[in-house]
Amino acid sequence: MWNLIRFIQKNHFVILFIVLEVICILMLSRSQNYHKQAVMNTTNNVVGKIYEWGSDVGNYFRLKKTNEQLAEENALLRQQLSIAVDTAQSTHIVNERDTLYEYIPAQVVNNSINQAKNYIIINKGENDGIMPDMCVVSPDGIVGVVLDVSSHYATILSLLHSNSSVGVSFKKNQELATLKWTTSNYRYGMVEDIATHLVFEQGDTVLTGPNSEIFPKDLMVGTVEELYQSPSGDLNRAKIKFSTNFATLRHVYVIRNLYATELDSLRAKF
Amino acid sequence: MNRTIINIIRFVALVLFQVLIVNHIRLGGYVHPYVYVLFVMLLPINMPKWQLLFCGFGIGLAVDLFSGTLGLHAGATTLMAFCRPGIIKFVSGRQKFESIQEPNLSQLGLVWFIRYSVCMVLVHHFALFVLESFSFRLMGQVLLRILLSAPVTIFLIIMILYLFNSSKKRE
Repeated sequence: MWNLIRFIQKNHFVILFIVLEVICILMLSRSQNYHKQAVMNTTNNVVGKIYEWGSDVGNYFRLKKTNEQLAEENALLRQQLSIAVDTAQSTHIVNERDTLYEYIPAQVVNNSINQAKNYIIINKGENDGIMPDMCVVSPDGIVGVVLDVSSHYATILSLLHSNSSVGVSFKKNQELATLKWTTSNYRYGMVEDIATHLVFEQGDTVLTGPNSEIFPKDLMVGTVEELYQSPSGDLNRAKIKFSTNFATLRHVYVIRNLYATELDSLRAKF
Repeated sequence: MNRTIINIIRFVALVLFQVLIVNHIRLGGYVHPYVYVLFVMLLPINMPKWQLLFCGFGIGLAVDLFSGTLGLHAGATTLMAFCRPGIIKFVSGRQKFESIQEPNLSQLGLVWFIRYSVCMVLVHHFALFVLESFSFRLMGQVLLRILLSAPVTIFLIIMILYLFNSSKKRE
């Protein structure tokens, strides 16, 4: 016993180092499983507050650009509204999809793009009706999925995350594929599992797929940059350019499916 | 002022500086300076080694909480704190400094400090980028990121030191 204590006393530096490193690696390997972020949740409010102070300062310098972007979006929405009113009056058909989703506007308080696993923090949380697994979009395209919420903030799993995976479809022929993020560049993603007989050109539009439980279908994702033929002749891959610019992300919308609980309870039965 | 209080202020200031400002510097996809390592570099030389480890672990964890990568920065800074006594011995050679409380530019000189920071930053960046990719498969990419990021980190660290040194002299 005394020998053991003396040994620990003598080598306390090395032992402590090993203990701390093991703790780090355990924490790291746990955070790889992105649904178990217990520690993240407790600190989210404090961290979110500090980030919000920082982004408050930064926002002053971007006011002009932000205004322009919002004005542009407003114009687009007005245009769409006038079309919608037109069609509604002329045909008396109510578009069901209009009432299926609620858009909750939010501001990005922190956003990273240069890690292997990127997260975004927004300034809306549980109190505003945000729950995990809701989808997040920007005016230009999809952004990610809500991972974790605290009372006033939410952490979003960005598309720029090595674990992110989204079912997409091509606008041209409705073919399904899977979007991943493998490259270290925040402008480009990789669409995998494309059947070999399909041919795509640069600029073809990629939308969210119809089978996703999280994303509404036909949201803008990006455009095809380059198609890679598989050397073994099975499924091809394509590099796509995200329509969302993650580097300048400021305003986002969280999309809430009003019938999500109903859908879930139906699914749970079988 | 008490050394402990100075170190606490330094801790908070460097973490905030890192997560609110430096993390938003984007120079291509490969350059990510991590300036907060300066905290570990400036800890008192005669500090007990176990305290050194806890300080390294602490600042890494603080940065981790902000980046949502628990354990990543903490692992790298703990390794850096572990290597620090050895690096100081290696960099100084036979030079002894009983009179100096903590590594600083004015007493030890620019050359000493650059050698010291090159060693420390390389250890940290290597551990960080390897842990981040969690495999040796992407070794080429990892090495590229280290070689591009480390000079920027060292440059920023030296700039910060000059900034704060000169302001102290003027007082």
